[in-house]
Amino acid sequence: MKRPRLTQQNIVFAIFVALFAVFSIFLRGFLSADNMLTLLQNVAVLGILGLGMAVVVIGRGIDISLIASLAVPPGLVLEMVQSGHSLPAALGAALALTLAFGLINGWLVAYAEVPSLFTTLASGLFLAGLGQVAFFQLDVVQWSPALDRLAWLGQGGLAGIPTPVLMFALASAAVALFLRTTRLGGFIYAIGDNPYGARVTGIPTRPVIVLQYVLAALIGAFAGMVMAASVNSMPTRIFNSTLIYDVILVVVLGGIGLSGGRGGVVNVVIGTLLIGTMLNGMTILDVSYSGQNLVKGLVLLVAILTDSFVNPRNEETAQQGDI
Amino acid sequence: MTAPILELRQATKKYAGVPAIENIDFALERAEIHALVGENGAGKSTLTKVMAGVVALSSGKMLVEGREVEPRTPLEARHLGIAMVFQENSLVPTMTVAQNLFLGQEKFYNRLRGIYIAAQQFLQSLNFDVAPTTTVSLLGAAKKQMVEIARAVLHNAKVIIFDEPTASLTPEEKKYFFDLVLELKRRGVSIIFISHALEEALQISDRITVLRDGKHVVTDATRSFDRARIVQAMVGRDLSQTLYGRRKQSTRPPGQRVLSVQNLRMAALVKNTSLSIFAGQITGVFGLVGAGRTETFKVVAGVMKRDFFHGGEVLLHGQRVRYLVPAPAVRDGIAYVTEDRKVEGFFETMSIARNIYMGLLAKLGRKRPLLSQREAEAVGETWVKRLNVRAIGKEVKVVELSGGNQQKVVIAKSLVQEPELVIFDEPTRGVDVGAIAEIHQLINRLADEGKAVVVISSYLPEIMALSDRVLVARQGKVVEEFSALEATEEKIMYAAIH
Repeated sequence: MKRPRLTQQNIVFAIFVALFAVFSIFLRGFLSADNMLTLLQNVAVLGILGLGMAVVVIGRGIDISLIASLAVPPGLVLEMVQSGHSLPAALGAALALTLAFGLINGWLVAYAEVPSLFTTLASGLFLAGLGQVAFFQLDVVQWSPALDRLAWLGQGGLAGIPTPVLMFALASAAVALFLRTTRLGGFIYAIGDNPYGARVTGIPTRPVIVLQYVLAALIGAFAGMVMAASVNSMPTRIFNSTLIYDVILVVVLGGIGLSGGRGGVVNVVIGTLLIGTMLNGMTILDVSYSGQNLVKGLVLLVAILTDSFVNPRNEETAQQGDI
Repeated sequence: MTAPILELRQATKKYAGVPAIENIDFALERAEIHALVGENGAGKSTLTKVMAGVVALSSGKMLVEGREVEPRTPLEARHLGIAMVFQENSLVPTMTVAQNLFLGQEKFYNRLRGIYIAAQQFLQSLNFDVAPTTTVSLLGAAKKQMVEIARAVLHNAKVIIFDEPTASLTPEEKKYFFDLVLELKRRGVSIIFISHALEEALQISDRITVLRDGKHVVTDATRSFDRARIVQAMVGRDLSQTLYGRRKQSTRPPGQRVLSVQNLRMAALVKNTSLSIFAGQITGVFGLVGAGRTETFKVVAGVMKRDFFHGGEVLLHGQRVRYLVPAPAVRDGIAYVTEDRKVEGFFETMSIARNIYMGLLAKLGRKRPLLSQREAEAVGETWVKRLNVRAIGKEVKVVELSGGNQQKVVIAKSLVQEPELVIFDEPTRGVDVGAIAEIHQLINRLADEGKAVVVISSYLPEIMALSDRVLVARQGKVVEEFSALEATEEKIMYAAIH
């Protein structure tokens, strides 16, 4: 069989190449080195978030609370250091908060069996609210000089490549390694493919599901630290933005089926490239924020529609409430 | 003589080429109560589904009052005057009785008071004691059934089909139900009812039809039947004609007692059942639908979800165990091979080797923190060879295999865990002829190797061909035990039927 496989991954990659080519020819300044760096830098955080989402979606869940993980624990680090706590204390507190959040999400989904969509919708709102009420003095928490020991997370670069992009590459490698080479990574695929089958096989499904949400929260918080370091602050209102839709867009468009068990880090990278190119092109074209939302919404709808055609859900294993 | 109200001629229905019913002739007279009996999988449900428009015939004719018809949906069948009352009832639980009765017939401006009055009058005319304003979820099983029947009558049904109508009823409710059926008969409605309870069929029906393996065996007036003749008709296979070959000449002696279940109780499905399973032999477990066989062993293997555990003990090698999830049971050497491989069996996006490797990983747990592609391929190759799984290439996904090969992969995924106790639930359901023989060989080999093997099956020839020892379950309890040498199909069926 010689003909190239018409997988979603290949299609999306082809669209990316086509879009990139069109923008390069018709958009003045798109292909400049400066713009390329901006493009990559802008989507690096999105890409890292996409990795966190991918871990959960491959296991047949979804994590809407990812933006809360991005905003609140890193915001807490900034806030605590600003108000005079030591850096290790701040990091420790944020890590504990992130772990607790992931564990609660995971427990609700795996043990209490609340559908992941509703669980994370509610828990994300709770964590974001908690941040506003209990932790943050102002909506934007500033990066204080005492944190400069962590500036390497988002500042500068290596051989001309901006640091956030390197961080995305690093996180991609780590997640890919986890998913492809570890037993637990294999179990996540098995659970996403057939949760009942995985259970009967003797896979400890519930602990593995908890692990997915803990990983997602940790990856989200990591993305938040990278973001805070690169822009020198944490705009905690980001939870109210449309960022979560971009993350879902990256994952679904990249070809990680929402029905679980399919795709991997490559898909996140491809999805990120396409979305990054699209957003950047629209910005150069001076499309308004609302106009961009319109386009993103449309693309997300098409992507989800394509997904349900390419990866039809097995009616027998789909259950009410799951996504 | 007028034409029968409903008639099937040479009716055949094939699922994926396999006939579920074959060349069946069936006629239903006006105002007749006709009982349909047969083993699980004899084709009763398929036959009635054809009549009710749920599935279409592959070949053959269906006639209503002498006119040829082809109902393609339950709605079309309803317009022909045929209604089916399903086992799981199809009422909307949050609506009232009256709303359910008129469901789908509401006027554009749907005055509730109007339908309550209409429902009240209608129910009274039937002599049904149900308040039309009651919410359906508050009704008991018998009353729900009454509402379903009322709905069928309201739709001018001339034929009403009941699938196991008495399964969920108490004795008094049963009596009430029979009165209802007789009342319907007086009104000129014809009734078909499927039942495992032979006494009921003998008591209430005018005629009885027996099906076996999708074929029509006999139809006759009820008075010419007795229990023995029905059982004989249900099981009277010529064994040399079946796929399963001769029955056993010798049995394996029981080894060590591996599993012992004492007074296990679970919701309404398992009622105080006790049994023992021994190493080095095959224990066949037979029972009809609702006998609680699968449920009992699902509790043992920790597969049963949600805990309806009400009491009793499970002893594995003399140790008390209680598994809430399958993972620890797997680690202790219990493997459960599911009856529904699509839902609980294989991983459809993975290759054959990967599927089997998942089984190994689940067993090894912490001992294998990292995946090894080489190990996966080696394990895959070994088991593909051992079980003779036929696939076009190594990377073929399991979902693309035939039913028999899928089943072999599911079995391999369990056997790679080297279990001491293997529970096969309907091991050859939906499996092609060649693979059945291979799977049976494999099961025999496991017993020869000294494993304790349980085969749950609804198909008597399979039980007869495999078992060294037969347990018969009935209504949530193991009621009878035979050695393979003394067991006959008649004896087993007698014990299984209530």
